[in-house]
Order: sequence, then C-alpha cells, then structure tokens
Amino acid sequence: MTAALEVSGLAKSYGGTVALDGVDLVVEAGTVHCVLGENGAGKSTLCHAVAGSLTPDAGTLRLYGQPYAPRRPADALAAGVAMVHQHFSLVSTLTVGENLRLLRLPGLAARIARVRETYGLELEPDAVVGQLPVGVRQRVEIVKALLRDPRLLVLDEPTGVLGPAETDALLETCRRIADAGHAVVLVTHKLGEAVRAGDAATVLRGGRVAGDGTTKDLSARRLVPLMIGRAAGDLDATLAGAVGLEDPEAVGPDAPGPDGLDDPGVLGLDDPAAVGLDDPAVVGPDPVVPGEVVPAAGPVRADDARTPQGAALRLREVTVRRADGAYALEDATLDVAFGEIVGVAGVEGNGQSELTAVLGGSLTPERGRVELDGRELTRALPAARTRAGLGVVPEDRHHEGCVPALSVAENLHLGRLREFRRFGVFLDRAALGRATEAALAEHDVRASGPFAPMASLSGGNQQKVVLARELALDPLKCLVAAQPTRGLDIGAVAAVHARIRAAAGRGAGVLVVSAELDELLTLCDRVVVAYRGRLLGPVDPRAADARERIGALMVGVEGERGAASGVGVGAGA
Amino acid sequence: MSAPVTTTQPPSPPPPDPHPPRPAALDPTRLRLALRAAPRHPLAVAGLAALFALGVGMLLVLAAGAELATAWQALDEGMFGSPYAIGSSLNSAAVLALIAAGFTVAHRAGLVNVGGEGQLCAGGTAAAAVGLALPAGVPAALGVPLVLVAGFLAGAAWAGIAAWLRVRRGTSEVITTLLLNFIGIGLVSVAVHEEALLRQPVTSSETLPQSAPLPTGAQLPLIGGPESPATAVVPIAVLAVVVTGIVLRHTALGLRLRAVGHSPAASARLGLPVGRLEGGGLAVAGGLAGVAGAALVATAPYVLAEHFSSGYGFAGLVVGLLARGSLTAVAAASLLFGFLTSGGINLQLAAQVPASTVQIVQSVLVLSIAAAMLFTTRRPGSRR
Repeated sequence: MTAALEVSGLAKSYGGTVALDGVDLVVEAGTVHCVLGENGAGKSTLCHAVAGSLTPDAGTLRLYGQPYAPRRPADALAAGVAMVHQHFSLVSTLTVGENLRLLRLPGLAARIARVRETYGLELEPDAVVGQLPVGVRQRVEIVKALLRDPRLLVLDEPTGVLGPAETDALLETCRRIADAGHAVVLVTHKLGEAVRAGDAATVLRGGRVAGDGTTKDLSARRLVPLMIGRAAGDLDATLAGAVGLEDPEAVGPDAPGPDGLDDPGVLGLDDPAAVGLDDPAVVGPDPVVPGEVVPAAGPVRADDARTPQGAALRLREVTVRRADGAYALEDATLDVAFGEIVGVAGVEGNGQSELTAVLGGSLTPERGRVELDGRELTRALPAARTRAGLGVVPEDRHHEGCVPALSVAENLHLGRLREFRRFGVFLDRAALGRATEAALAEHDVRASGPFAPMASLSGGNQQKVVLARELALDPLKCLVAAQPTRGLDIGAVAAVHARIRAAAGRGAGVLVVSAELDELLTLCDRVVVAYRGRLLGPVDPRAADARERIGALMVGVEGERGAASGVGVGAGA
Repeated sequence: MSAPVTTTQPPSPPPPDPHPPRPAALDPTRLRLALRAAPRHPLAVAGLAALFALGVGMLLVLAAGAELATAWQALDEGMFGSPYAIGSSLNSAAVLALIAAGFTVAHRAGLVNVGGEGQLCAGGTAAAAVGLALPAGVPAALGVPLVLVAGFLAGAAWAGIAAWLRVRRGTSEVITTLLLNFIGIGLVSVAVHEEALLRQPVTSSETLPQSAPLPTGAQLPLIGGPESPATAVVPIAVLAVVVTGIVLRHTALGLRLRAVGHSPAASARLGLPVGRLEGGGLAVAGGLAGVAGAALVATAPYVLAEHFSSGYGFAGLVVGLLARGSLTAVAAASLLFGFLTSGGINLQLAAQVPASTVQIVQSVLVLSIAAAMLFTTRRPGSRR
C-alpha cells in the first residue's frame, strides 16, 4: 500500500503553549485512519496543518510520496486534500443546490451524480439548508468536499453533533470513501467510533503520539489508557506534595464521608427553616418528604441508597434541550451529600456545561428539579441561589466567572457592595481595599494590589479570586466548581484542590465538573459520568478499575449495567 | 503614521568611525518607538484629530472663497464676541451636555443610545403640554420644575420602550432607539399641526404650525443679565454632569452599571439585576435627553415647533461618542461643540462661509478621533 499522507516531526506552538511536539503519522491509501485524543491533545492543530490553514513550526508532510507544504487552504485543495470542519461552512438561508453552486466547480451536475453513485450520498438540492437536520447538513459538507474528488479527506470531529444513527451513516460513508481508494483521516475523541470504523488509529496526548497501530491490535481497552494517560501516579504524588499530604489516597477516607453526615446541624449551618424565611424570592421552603419515591427515569443513575436524607444538592430528572431539539441534559439525577465531593467526568459536550448553567441559574431546565438542602432553586435567580448558600465557579472564567476589566476588589465584592457604604450612598473604597487585601492574603493570591485589574492576574490567581468569592458565602452549603483547574499550572491546581477539600471538610457538599480524569480521581468521593446528557455511574474512585470504568463510560464503549444510552459497540470489532 | 516621519530624518553622515555615537533623540529606533508610543495617548490622539479637522475646515473656508483671517474673526465673534454670543453658546453646550451625560450613563451599562433626538422630542412635547396646561399666573418655582420633570419622564418613557424591548426581547437598542427617533420627530410634527393637540389657535391662514407660547412661570429664567440669553439650563446641565460623574465613579450603582456593561453574564452570575440596570441606564439617558427637550421648549421663543430640536439629539450623541465615557470629556466636548455651533452661524452671516462648514469640521473631528482610537486600543499588525 502507498502512504497517502506521511507526517514526520510535526511541531507547532502558540506562544508558550506547545500544541504539537514532534508528531509522526502515516495514513495508508484506502484506509480510514482515526486520530484520537482528548481536548487539547493537538488533534485540531494537526488537522489545520494538513489542510493548510496553519503553518507548522517544524516537520514535513508528504502526500502520496510527494513533498507537500500547503501554505493556505487553496494549496491543500489543489493538492487533493479536502477538510470537513467541525463547524459547518454552509449558507443556511440558501438551498443545498445553491450552496454547492457557490463552489464554482465546472461540470457540477456530473460531479454530484458521480458522488451519488460512488458513495450513495443522496441530496435534496431544493431543500433550504437552515431547515435540514444537522446530520443532513453534514452530508452536504461531505459532498462539498467530495465534489473535488480529493485524494485525502480530513474530518474534524464530525460526530460531535450527530445522533447514533447519523453517526453510523457517516462511518459507513467513510468506509466507502476508503474503499474507493482514497484516504480518510477521522479526528474524534470517541473511542467507539474509532474502533468501529477505523483501520488504523493514532492516539495523541499533550501534542505527542501516545500510541498507534491498526485497530485490530488496539482494542478499546488498550486505547482508553493511551488516551487519558496512565501516569496518574506521578501527578497524584506532585499534587499531594504540594497540598502537604503524603499519600493522596488518604484524602478520601479522611474527608467527612457521606455516611456520618445525616444531620446538617453538626455542620454549624443555620436552621434551614430560618434561611427559608428571610428569602422571599425563593419558591417556598418545600421540604422534601423523607423517603420520597423518586420515579425511575433513566436506566442508570447516581446511586440513591448511598446518600443520606437532606442532601446538600439534589437534582431530579433535570432535562434541557438545545435549540435544535436535541437533549443536552436528559433526566439528570444526582445527590451531593454534605461534606461529600462528587465529580462529574465526561468528554466535553455531553451536558456538563448545561448542568453548570442550570445550577448557576443562567439556564432554566425544561423539566426537573434542583434543590439545595431541601429548598427548591430550580428557577431561582442567581442572587437567591447565592443567598441560599450555593457557590458556583463557572466553567468559563472570563465569560461568567469574573469581569476581567474590573479590579480584583470589585470582582470579589460585586455581589455584596451594600456592605461597603459610606454616608449611605458612596462606595467605601478604603474598606473594599482592606477586605480585599485580607482575602488576597488568606487565599494566597498574587496581585499587585486590591485594585489591580482582574485581567492583569495570571489564570491561576484569577481562579483563586473566583474561588475565594464563592467560598466566602455564609452559609456555604454547596459549591459547584466547573473545570476549576482548566489552564492552571500545577501549583495553582494544588491550591484550588486544597480549597475544595477544605470546603468539603467544613461540611459543604461539593460538585466538581471536570474534563481531567486525574483531578476527579484524586479529589472525589464519587464520580458520575456525563454521557449524552445522562449521568451514568457512580464509580468509586478508590476502586482498582475506576479509571477504566470511567473511561469506558465516557466514550460510550460500554454502558455500565447495560445502559441503554451507551452505544452497543463490541470492543475490538 | 510613524513611517513618513522617520524617513525625514537626515541620513547619518558617512561615518569615519564605524560606530558613530548618535544623539539619543535622533536614534531612529528610539525615535520610531517614541513616535509609536506618543500618538497612543488619548490626549495626543485627540490633539492630532483636532489639527486634522482644523485643516479640513481651513480648506473648506478657502473653497468658499473667503479669507482665512476673516473667517476666523467671524467664527471668534460668533463664539465669544458678545454676551449674546457667549450666552447662546452656553445654552447650546448645556443641551448637548445633558444628552451626552445620558448617553454616558447608558454606555456604562453597555448600551448605545442613539435615540437622543427622539427622546428630546418626546420630552419637549410633554414639557409643552404640561407648560400650556399650567395657569397663566403659575410661579416659576413651581412651573419650571414641573416642565422639566415632565420632560424627564417623557424622555425616560420613550427610551423605556427600547429598554423594554432590549431586556425582554433582546432587540438591539441601537436599532430601536434609532427608529424611535423618527417616530418622536413625527410626534412633534403631528402635535403642532393639530389644534386638538398642541397647535396654537388658528386665527388666520398665516398662523404658524406651532404651539402657543408657554406661560411666564414655565419659562426657564435667564441667568446672565439682560444682555445674555443664557438660561437656567446651564446650571442644570452642570448639575447633571457633576451628579452623573459622582454616581458613576463613587457609588455602588456606578460600579454595578460598569460591571453589567463589561460582562452581563458574569454580572448575572453575581446576582446583579442585569435587566433592571440596563433598562434603568437607558431610561436615565432618555430622561436627560427629555430634560434637554424641555429646556429647548422653555427657552425663547417658548414654543414647541417642528424642528425645535435642531438636531441636538444627534449632536449630543456625537458628543457622547467623542467623550468615550468620561464626563470631564463630556463637559469639554459639549463646550467645544456648543461654541462652534454658535460661531458657525456667525461664520455664515459675517464671512459668507456656509455654517455647514462647522458641521463638516465637527464630523471630520469625530471620524478622525474614532479612527484614531482604534489606533490606541489595537496594535497595528495584530490580527484580532
């Protein structure tokens, strides 16, 4: 077989961030080659380098044996490389036919007919693109790419927006394209697809090749550790040292477990009834009847039996739909006990963002219920949630977590400016500065001063400020932290973890949503897995096979206890 | 901008010494750096833009066939030549300052109010209606506040339509306030053409389509003596600018508005009433424009007529844009524009240079400042 694409020593860095670090890759003609990896592993950078939309710092490409150095996407197209991007490039107000005519290709009708005959890709030329389901829109994109009769087709995360049936159809198309003698590079973070449709796979992790081979040799069981990294021991030891612990495993048992915490009074929290009275904005106290029967909706859900009554945070069948009607969250049910740290793992885009948004109050679920210590907060305003004791660290620091243009002091105290008044009207900047200095010292935030712009702080220090603000709630009943350590260096990660543990130690329930499996395994008492809007599990992170089980749930290779939502993929098929 | 200047540097003399010590100020690299840094300062940018606009103005004067000196004298005469000139300049400046201060409030909350003209019309109409409804002998201590409050409320309500659409429906306030301008202008027109509304009683075919004059007690008192037309609108505008400045800078409310303006999402997460702050900011902007409208109606000739707004709403918007959020700059730009407008009228009368020359100069000034501001905030060559 000829190598359709040979990549050797490809490197690219953005500023100080290394996206690709000496990647070697060989794609044989007539095969579907999967590039696997988590977010940030360098998959997209690799795609863009091949498609000519960025220039690598080092390394060479060869296309069917010829040197190939595209400097712009047009070069790639001329060389016979077509790319289907993650985000569609179709004019949604035009029809399918009009969109194809925009390409200005000679002999368009003949080309369309040939694509239809060769690959069985049917199109409705008169349908308006905006009214088509995403799967069909993607088919149009693929046809667009195939009309130029490319020798190499690159698909960047094509299945992210597709349902199972549409995914199957796409993989079938990939197979046909390969059978026609072309090469297909399928970039994905879903293992099941790779194993099902790929002939060969390359796993990227942190910009390097973590492993490669044919899918016959690489079973899903072998791919999971390659993809998410096995070196958990190293990371845990570093973190434990930074936090001041000898053994990270000791953290779990030492932290107050869910079992001994039935009584919120032990935790020094206010009387829940009293809290309910001083807040008219929240819909009634609405106490939870002990032993209330929760209707079984999902086939797999968080294990209710393990959590005591009066959970710090209780989600019941929370359902959110995206604008296109697909479920972002479907019957998400979860309990977080006081003093417990629960993790939500999962590949991004499986409903984690919506879960955080529902908890933070920026998204109202279609149905379902959110309770904090027995009080319903499903539709409460963010201010009411804060008063009730729900701290939220949003996943996007710069969008929702803080206002980068304002100062640290202003960011810390924006929600409670009433406490900093002078003469009844003016803002007491001196008091604001003093309170901020105290908070900065307590949380070890490095800032040039209390009135330094938030944007001047490093990411780690920004996150410490956000965390300090949410931890300052009184009472703090539950902390929701979404991607709390994204983009932070190891020292900041350790500090954030220590704060989260301390919050749980003081009795607050903690929900950590993270794409970092290692983080969840070191931090959490229980881990549930978000997969296609459902919360699967839980998995005990102390179990010997926790990593494998979570990894399997994450990528939909197997559904635990026969989850109907898991795609029935035979491992190693 | 730096390139042509650096090329004017004398080429370094052919050196006998391979490394001639060059004076620091003439070191091309350093000079280039200094030039690149200098125009970034907002004051330097404003100064350069003003020079450019002045140059355009001089060209226009020459094109109109006038002597530069004559034109300058006429302009100066119109701005500062007499108590009358100064008084009417100050009145203009005050009206502009009210609208621009309101614009700044909404701008802090992240909204762009281009509806000053419509809000001014609504305020003026309401002020005329209230003023005409007052009995003839009403004391000024009662009549003037009533007229101004009516203007504020009507302007705020007019902006409130856009605010409501923005908060409830997410409609862009730029579009809604802009379109409401035309309705507001039409509203004045209808009101002064219909006897059932505000038109003065029609006694002959020569009765103008305008309202009857406001009673004395509803007229803004003069403050500058018999020679000067300056009215109480001047101290009112000063008060509005000062209070707005203090609220925006030194109160929790100002900080909240700023937070909402920078990041509605984060502000909402932190429990701020984003909709109320945005809506309130826009309503205050409309209210201040409404006060400006009321002041125009309550100034000689004390009637509501078509085109009574004289485009102040748009000019105030320009002042607000130019001031870029600073109330000190609002005061300065209002004075500049107010005096230039008065001067422009005299330019036409005394030097036969069209008054619109001044408008062109003002527009050029705004355009060049806006363009130059990109220069200060964005590095050349940076992609995003």
